[in-house]
Amino acid sequence: MITQERYRTTVKELLANGSIKMAIGYRLGSTPDRRRPLFIRTSEEADQLVLDSTCMTNLSGYLVTEGLLSDEKKVGIFLRPEGIRSINILAAEYQLNADQIVIFGFDSTGRDVRPLDGRNVGEFSKLLNEIKEHPLQIVKEPLHWRIEKMNAKERFDFWQEEFSRCIKCYACRQACPMCYCRRCIVDSNQPQWINTSSHTLGNFEWNIVRAFHLSGRCVQCGNCDRACPVNIPLRLINQRMANEVLDGFDHFAGLSPTQEPVLASFKKDDTETFIL
Amino acid sequence: MTRILFSDKLDNCVAKWRSAGLTVIGPVQEEAISRYAAVEKGTDLSFGTVLPDRSLKELFFPQTEPMTSYTIKKNEIETTDFTPPQGKRIIFGTRACDASGLAIDDPLFGWDYKDEFWFQRRNESVIVTIACTKSDDFCMCTSLKLAPDSTKGADVLLRPIVKNKGWIVEELTERGREAFAIISEYLLESPEPAIPTVIVPEKFNLDTCVAWLQNPENFDSKFWKEISMRCIGCASCTYLCPTCHCFDIQDEGDTYSGIRRKNWDSCSFALFTMHTSGHNPRSTQSARWRQRIMHKFNYFPGKFSVNSCSGCGRCSRQCPVDMGITETLQEISKL
Ligand code: SF4
Ligand code: SF4
Ligand code: SF4
Repeated sequence: MITQERYRTTVKELLANGSIKMAIGYRLGSTPDRRRPLFIRTSEEADQLVLDSTCMTNLSGYLVTEGLLSDEKKVGIFLRPEGIRSINILAAEYQLNADQIVIFGFDSTGRDVRPLDGRNVGEFSKLLNEIKEHPLQIVKEPLHWRIEKMNAKERFDFWQEEFSRCIKCYACRQACPMCYCRRCIVDSNQPQWINTSSHTLGNFEWNIVRAFHLSGRCVQCGNCDRACPVNIPLRLINQRMANEVLDGFDHFAGLSPTQEPVLASFKKDDTETFIL
Repeated sequence: MTRILFSDKLDNCVAKWRSAGLTVIGPVQEEAISRYAAVEKGTDLSFGTVLPDRSLKELFFPQTEPMTSYTIKKNEIETTDFTPPQGKRIIFGTRACDASGLAIDDPLFGWDYKDEFWFQRRNESVIVTIACTKSDDFCMCTSLKLAPDSTKGADVLLRPIVKNKGWIVEELTERGREAFAIISEYLLESPEPAIPTVIVPEKFNLDTCVAWLQNPENFDSKFWKEISMRCIGCASCTYLCPTCHCFDIQDEGDTYSGIRRKNWDSCSFALFTMHTSGHNPRSTQSARWRQRIMHKFNYFPGKFSVNSCSGCGRCSRQCPVDMGITETLQEISKL
């Protein structure tokens, strides 16, 4: 409550003195346990701001909505640490100018919400480096261990079963702040690179393309997983890929706005002869 | 005297229908989601959920379906048409909104071109609706002038009796009567009272909304941008909707052989209206959301005299950013 009240005041101040043109946060949703994105442009809208432990959505994808940042005015945004990492990646991949983003950081333990110190993404670098050293949350999940114990055939069958439910709504893509491509490979239809059909092969193609494209970029915010209407445990795929990249390249996505993208950078002295 | 189908006889009924050659389909709770699926035993059916996550439409209009295969040879082109799998089926335990969805889409699929994939399945399916005794925050059939015990699209209506011991049987069509004649030995005359159907509060005044939508001035209203600002353009709402029916036809294969398929498509996608030139007449998400609302409550009824929404609430229930038809129409009725 205190955090929410303080942030409401801060947002009002920054809007009033023209430091930001808008803040993106959360408000009450259609049922008591739902929160929905809120675009704050006025003091009255700031009064609708809700900040509690149920605010889960990583809102950073809205920043790359066409035209939002093109006037070079600053935009404020409420972000958990994963969201802050997304800002770093978007900046590193030249999708936005990090100095245009005013961060209202928060995190929660149980039901308690606390603010995170800092406004510019650079100020969170110590916090993000600490997170890199911590064991990742997902390993606590029983399903993760069930999959780890499987052999290749069992794993393949497991994912085949999961992907068979996919309806190719692309909600995972749309919900993902890292899936900002103006034209996704599945939308490239001259020629059609990826089948649009939602049959087993098509579903595999789609989910594998997405997993690869997010390797070393996914921040585990969980947006895709929560958005999937057929409850495919997408977080496990992306988590696994993130672990691979961490083990293989010591790369933890989103540490700084100038961090080199791991799968899109090239070193002359690379020991591998093959580049994917 | 009313005729009752007691639930402890459901297994026998399923066996009877199956031995009469009918595929039995109904609500099933799987590990990850609930949906309508084929079952072998009555006990595989699950009547506990308010509404299956996935809608009934996919049993008539699947997400992907082969239409024709082609082989191009030197001097000839060979094509082979696919037909939907044949065979009678009974869909036991649909919700009124889902069954209504089928009836809503019938005129669409039979309008200038008769979609044989849809109608073959429609003709071979017996729809048994169970009146709802539970609802959730998102149900809104009554706002669409339907009801938890609507008979629209149904061949038989069942009303649950107390303690969920079974259902009162109301046969509505010849097809329904034929299917229930197969299990007549399990239908007992008994004076059991029905559980009252659930009361679903009206969420908006439909007529007010429709009048606003029909006013051409409101096409360019600022409202559209405001209401849809948070829409991320995923297509969940359209793909889970029992009445959304857009599809794309795609050839899969290469220049010489392949399969032509009919795949779900959605007005939420930018690509849906993208021209070859690169111009997109619906270039913003707000234009796309406006289209979805206008189509359901203005254009579709203008053509077929029925709204393209049955009030199932799935679009709002599932939206990752908590939008949906309900909120939009509630806001319109306040304008
Ligand atoms: S959100 Fe789920 S169903 Fe939709 S495309 Fe992604 S994996 Fe498939
Ligand atoms: S309204 Fe919700 S479910 Fe529909 S496209 Fe927009 S974000 Fe997706
Ligand atoms: S528009 Fe929404 S409420 Fe209406 S039938 Fe479709 S999913 Fe259900």
